Amino acid sequence: MSKKQALGNQALESQGARPFIELRALTHAYALEGGGEVRALQGIDLTIERGEFVALVGPNGSGKSTLVRHLNGLLLPTSGQVWVDGLLTAHPSSLWKIRERVGMVFQNPENQFVASTVEEDVAFGPENLGLPPDELRRRVDDALKLVGLTEYATHPPHMLSGGQKQRTAIAGALATRPACIILDEPTSMLDPLGRRRTLETLRSLNQDQGITILLVTQSMDEATAAERMLVMVRGRVVSDGTPAEVFGQGQRLREWGLGLPSALEIADRLRERGLNLPAGLLTVEQLASALC
Amino acid sequence: MLISVEGLGYTYAPSTPLARTALRGVDLEIRQGERVGILGPTGSGKSTLAQLIAGLLRPTSGHVLLDGVAAHARTADARLRRLKVGMAFQYPEHQIFEQTVPREVAFGPRNLGLNDAEVEARVAWALDIVGLDPVEMADRVPLTLSGGEMRRLALAGILAMRPPVLILDEPTANLDPRGRQELLTRVLTWQAETELTLIVISHNLDDLARLAERVVLLVAGQVAADGPAREVLSDRPLLEDASFDVPPPVALLQALRQSGWAVATNRLLAEEAATEIAQVWSSTGGMV
Ligand SMILES: Nc1ncnc2c1ncn2[C@@H]1O[C@H](COP(=O)(O)OP(=O)(O)OP(=O)(O)O)[C@@H](O)[C@H]1O
Ligand SMILES: Nc1ncnc2c1ncn2[C@@H]1O[C@H](COP(=O)(O)OP(=O)(O)OP(=O)(O)O)[C@@H](O)[C@H]1O
Ligand SMILES: [Mg+2]
Ligand SMILES: [Mg+2]
Repeated sequence: MSKKQALGNQALESQGARPFIELRALTHAYALEGGGEVRALQGIDLTIERGEFVALVGPNGSGKSTLVRHLNGLLLPTSGQVWVDGLLTAHPSSLWKIRERVGMVFQNPENQFVASTVEEDVAFGPENLGLPPDELRRRVDDALKLVGLTEYATHPPHMLSGGQKQRTAIAGALATRPACIILDEPTSMLDPLGRRRTLETLRSLNQDQGITILLVTQSMDEATAAERMLVMVRGRVVSDGTPAEVFGQGQRLREWGLGLPSALEIADRLRERGLNLPAGLLTVEQLASALC
Repeated sequence: MLISVEGLGYTYAPSTPLARTALRGVDLEIRQGERVGILGPTGSGKSTLAQLIAGLLRPTSGHVLLDGVAAHARTADARLRRLKVGMAFQYPEHQIFEQTVPREVAFGPRNLGLNDAEVEARVAWALDIVGLDPVEMADRVPLTLSGGEMRRLALAGILAMRPPVLILDEPTANLDPRGRQELLTRVLTWQAETELTLIVISHNLDDLARLAERVVLLVAGQVAADGPAREVLSDRPLLEDASFDVPPPVALLQALRQSGWAVATNRLLAEEAATEIAQVWSSTGGMV
């Protein structure tokens, strides 16, 4: 199925022509025990359409995890509203439907394990969809194979290496295949092969099945894989565009505590040394061919 | 302190259906003041090796010796040596248990028997190295910090003890790019001033290129390579076999070389690669 067809089919099931995800003047303040508060989100207006592939970057403490935890109703706004597929997260009766549509891979996978073996953990999401047993089995097996954990299927999740834990959490989201998958730094402890496989899989879920992807990352190289990139700083979205547009503002990125993808970084240094290079070289391959 | 790893093997849950051999026949010697990077695919045994060196696990076979004494032994001698090894875990949550940020950082130095003034100075110093604001963090509960903030806190807690041997398991995961750069620079400065032994586990080859002079590659619990960082990290067949890519600067240089540029390919950092390319470019009159 092409992305367009998939989007068409999903659009029929959706609740009208509203954006898939809509944040209106979203603020969130965490109350501190000794009084006082941390204002983690400061008035965010944002829409994400069905089928988008969005990367979310920002310095530590800028509010990325707080924002994504609002998208499946795990956190509720201090003020403002969050709509998912036409459903308001603040309505308790909507929560179940919202969580069916939005799957989440948390920043720390250990907070996410619910079962005593890897395969039961991966099956937890799809089980709740009421799939026939053979379909359930197939999805779990496929997801485990994709992340390379087949031989660990019957292991307890806490008896895994750091990267294996992350892979288990990713497999759970893949097996559930919700309309939208949100991943909070899912690859921070994976080896490059694991990273590449995860990104390729997300891209194909997005392209072939129209699944909306929101990927939080500290890797500027990884962010170039998205179609759209959001930058958060101190609880606000300060930049929103294609990776080429966002990375085009090199100096501002540094001021925000972020960096450039490796290729842009090297290209910048080559320009300082007198070489003439076009803008927007996001990958090493692009830079190499510009030089040859 | 001399760390000697001899014929080291480790099996989790031995003689159960879940038995898993994480290390086999590992030999390594790490001298005081060395900067060693440990690299390897997911599940290759890196964290297990780190915990064995820190004396937190008991070898299934072979030995880990700290100046000749078994690292895990229950003797006073061994305990003194273990105190010299500070380790930051891969998941910071595993080592955080105090109720406020300053108390968390103070815990180690206090255990070393330092007086209040010294403890306070260590806390301020360590928070500064990891880039946490002491005022903002004064009343914060550690387990409610953001991912990157919590990683910084765990690192601060270890640094505050100023151990002569520092083991960092994925120290820059979840750090933002500026935080990462600053941490690497400050740890390196501290290392050079004090000649501490630095053992760093990371999937980020740029971390290793900046921190390590020697890189050990683990594959399936065995040492697959052990040599100068510049050699190991630019060896494409070796790295690809271990599911790694060469660092982006090396990938660029190798691509240029294939299409006729006379560049050296073992420049691991962006700035080194740019210098190399610019030199070759200007030596040919900008005509490449
Ligand atoms: N439960 C909490 N109580 C108080 N403050 C909190 C809580 N959770 C998060 N914060 C604070 O809110 C701010 C935003 O946190 P958040 O986790 O959203 O950041 P982030 O962008 O995901 O950061 P990182 O890159 O480090 O993961 C931070 O200053 C953090 O310390
Ligand atoms: N607590 C545990 N109980 C049982 N097996 C474990 C445990 N911890 C790790 N293992 C297994 O031991 C092997 C080595 O794990 P280790 O954590 O040392 O790997 P690693 O190289 O640090 O991987 P990563 O890069 O994913 O952190 C893996 O096969 C893992 O599944
Ligand atoms: Mg976060
Ligand atoms: Mg590990």
